[in-house]
Amino acid sequence: MTLSSMVETDFPEEFVEEMEKSNNALPKRIDANPKNVEKGLAKLVLTLIELIRKLLEKQAMRRVEAGSLSDEEIEKVGETLMKLENKMDELKEIFGLKDEELNLNLGPLGDLM
Amino acid sequence: MKLYLYGIIDSSNQINEPIYGLEGAGVYSIPFCDIGAVVSEISRPIRGVTEGAVLEHEAVTEKLMANFAVLPVRFQTIIDGRDNLLSMMQSYYKDFRDNLDRVRNKVEFGIKVIWPSDKIKEHITNAYKKNDKKVSVPGNSSNKRFMREKFEKYKLDEEFEKKANKFINVMDMFFSKFVAEKKLKKLKTEDLLLDAVYLVKKDDQDNFREAFEHIKGPHANFKFLFSGPWPPYNFVILPKNSNLLKDSRQEDLFDKVIQHQDLVGADTI
Repeated sequence: MTLSSMVETDFPEEFVEEMEKSNNALPKRIDANPKNVEKGLAKLVLTLIELIRKLLEKQAMRRVEAGSLSDEEIEKVGETLMKLENKMDELKEIFGLKDEELNLNLGPLGDLM
Repeated sequence: MKLYLYGIIDSSNQINEPIYGLEGAGVYSIPFCDIGAVVSEISRPIRGVTEGAVLEHEAVTEKLMANFAVLPVRFQTIIDGRDNLLSMMQSYYKDFRDNLDRVRNKVEFGIKVIWPSDKIKEHITNAYKKNDKKVSVPGNSSNKRFMREKFEKYKLDEEFEKKANKFINVMDMFFSKFVAEKKLKKLKTEDLLLDAVYLVKKDDQDNFREAFEHIKGPHANFKFLFSGPWPPYNFVILPKNSNLLKDSRQEDLFDKVIQHQDLVGADTI
């Protein structure tokens, strides 16, 4: 058996490590079964909330950059985003979820976040 | 009788040279109209994935590529009998033909790039701190401090991504002349800047390789992985409801070995 294809690199271990990291980061599906259905659902719901939270945060940053938020508005947005982040941390802790677990692989569309 | 499927070829003729596949079984083609499904007979289910078995599968596909246009099929694709195989060929005939036309005389190459993300971030952070004209969030309340930190992170992330795009654009410039199709994944991890596959005309293989060496040269602190030529695993496009080839994401041999978890479990049609 001979292969004409070749893999050439001076750093095979580093590439294996990075590929494993990227593969392990995202589950292929929500892992819900009778024993862990609560955690499986929490993960799905928290992933969606996290997506919305990140979108809100990004939008806020864009507005800060554009200078379209007053001092008072920055104060309010800051308070809201901080509370939202703290609440998410609490919920992640309750369900034993890590940041990198809050994502979904959407197949050909790529990753949710 | 179960048939282990290696790929679809653009010919209804028999394979001229003897090829041996998994378990040393003889490989032959089952014709359908003007295309063929290349198979070997399999007596028992394949348990687990071994490097040897993956290499055997790959070796068959590569031998086929010497004489035919090939649509490589995912490792461990097993079809329950000749009738089912022919029925599958009938269902997907047009898609198979279209794909064979697209990949004819082309091969796939994989390129992965690791960059020194820590150093790049450090450089970006230093430049950001030195920038007197930067937008910032004034004030010392906890909410404002929170917003300031978030805004700084947002700007640093933005700059990090800009740098990634810049490098990828440079690569694209070098490759564009020789590449028929490409699939790029940027920053799969902070260090893995690029995980790309390219569909390249067989006649342009040397030029593609030369372009890669040109890119590699001035980036001494980047790490590169070059692989190929492979069968066009990543460039077979089938309808969404197809379970046959759509998951053929054996991006290269490297991935096949380390992503063996993905491959466990035979696809029985």
